[in-house]
Amino acid sequence: MRGNRLRLAVVGLLVLVLAGFVFLRGPTPHIQIKPETLYSIGIINITNTMVTSWLVVALMVGLVYLASRRRELVPRGVQNLLEAIVEGFYNLVVSIAGEKNGRRFFPVVATIFFFVLFANWFSLFPIFNAIGLGQEEEHGFVMEKVDLGPLPATYVGLSSLDQLQGRTIDEEDPEAAHKVEQEKDKGNFVGEIRPFLRGVNTDLNTPLALAIMSAIFVEFWGISTLGFFTYGRKFFNFGGLLRGIRRLSLDDVFRGVIDAFVGFLELVSEMVRLISFTFRLFGNMFAGEVVILMFTFLVPLVFTLPFYGLEIFVGLIQAFIFAALTLVFGMIAVAHGGPPDAEEAQAEIHETETAEGQLVVNSEQ
Amino acid sequence: MELVFLAGLVDGLKTLGINLPSLLAQLINFTLLLILLSVFAYKPVIRLLDERRRRIQEGLEAAEQAKQQAAQAEQEVQAQLERARQEGQAVIGQAQQIAARIQEEARQQAREDAEALLERARSEIQLERDSAIAELRREFGGLTIEAAEKVIGQSLDPQAHRRLIEEVLAESTLGGNGDQQASGSEPSP
Repeated sequence: MRGNRLRLAVVGLLVLVLAGFVFLRGPTPHIQIKPETLYSIGIINITNTMVTSWLVVALMVGLVYLASRRRELVPRGVQNLLEAIVEGFYNLVVSIAGEKNGRRFFPVVATIFFFVLFANWFSLFPIFNAIGLGQEEEHGFVMEKVDLGPLPATYVGLSSLDQLQGRTIDEEDPEAAHKVEQEKDKGNFVGEIRPFLRGVNTDLNTPLALAIMSAIFVEFWGISTLGFFTYGRKFFNFGGLLRGIRRLSLDDVFRGVIDAFVGFLELVSEMVRLISFTFRLFGNMFAGEVVILMFTFLVPLVFTLPFYGLEIFVGLIQAFIFAALTLVFGMIAVAHGGPPDAEEAQAEIHETETAEGQLVVNSEQ
Repeated sequence: MELVFLAGLVDGLKTLGINLPSLLAQLINFTLLLILLSVFAYKPVIRLLDERRRRIQEGLEAAEQAKQQAAQAEQEVQAQLERARQEGQAVIGQAQQIAARIQEEARQQAREDAEALLERARSEIQLERDSAIAELRREFGGLTIEAAEKVIGQSLDPQAHRRLIEEVLAESTLGGNGDQQASGSEPSP
């Protein structure tokens, strides 16, 4: 009985895969790093990623508004969910950064996390990269006009069934040129699609903007906690060098040079952080989108699902990494830099010793 | 050289799709989201969390207090009960004491009464006896005289009689009184 059911399921899946191959092969995906421009207003190009990010923001705010319409001490329904999520993340942040810093860092860290998470997961909806404006080009695939109500002329990237299945049309091919004419007679045309919605983080601008915001807030936290000069000394540490020159001590000068160089490295690492933030998120999300597009092209049904699962996971992980790194950099920024005092060092040593003692005790147990 | 590098960089960024308007749009987007979420989600939720934590804390404290109060009340009740019991005990003890005293008094009274009664009876008996003895003596004196008259056969003048009798009696009273004193000294100490 059980074996029968399993066999049935396997056969059903195979049938689905084959049906996908035969009937649902889409056109070869056109992969482009630059986000597609939908409209131009003056010099500003409204790209699809911009539209999507507005949509994401609107949805998030709408959801929050919906949840916070009636706020009760004993939560219920959507409010409960939202509170549970915010509370969970809040507790996490506080457990990492401590009560005082956690409270301060939380809004920024949480906004980064929830925005990236929501954008990543939202981009897994199948309306992404499928519906958009058509653009007539010499080669491409057959576009079909669809009426979407109030929206402007809209096209969906679907090839018609007669032998154009999953094939792009190249106008240099005489047969294809004939077919293009045929399609044009039917009211369709050949070209590329400019989708309305595209994953927000597959546009380099978004991760870069997030990274910039993250960096701004990290520097702000550092400066507001330590003071401008103390914080600045982390990067421009010439005190030791000047002292060494004044004392004419080669040893001190050497040490000063090293300090200054370390400060320079700190500055560089701050810059590199920006780039690594940007490209980590962009690379992961863009690759995910490409994988899903390619698999939808290769095996339209069934086998795409594992990649959707993978993308859900990657979306969460990337959001968490971005937020957690911001948090950690914030903690580093507010920590007292420079050579620790003897007292602090003593305390640290003591702490490590106790921690080690604890470990030993634990392992003995 | 540097210019070429910069131009190349800008070109590369353009190829990657980075441009200022998009970047600014995303920056504004994020800032907006940060502000809106802070106002509508984080602040109220954190406030609510604090509030809830405070309430729970208060509730716990109140419960603790109530428990303490209950314990205290219990203790008080116990103490009162104890006090009441002690008081009752004391009252009973007092009552018993009073009862004992009354009993003792009654007994004393009874004894005294009996004593008095006895005393009176005794003194009456004494009186009775004295008068009986006196009577007897008189009777005996008369009889003696009569007997003596008969024996002697002569009449003596009453004056001489009386004197004679008195003399005899005085003699016998001495003896009789001595007897009387010996027997009468015992009941009246």
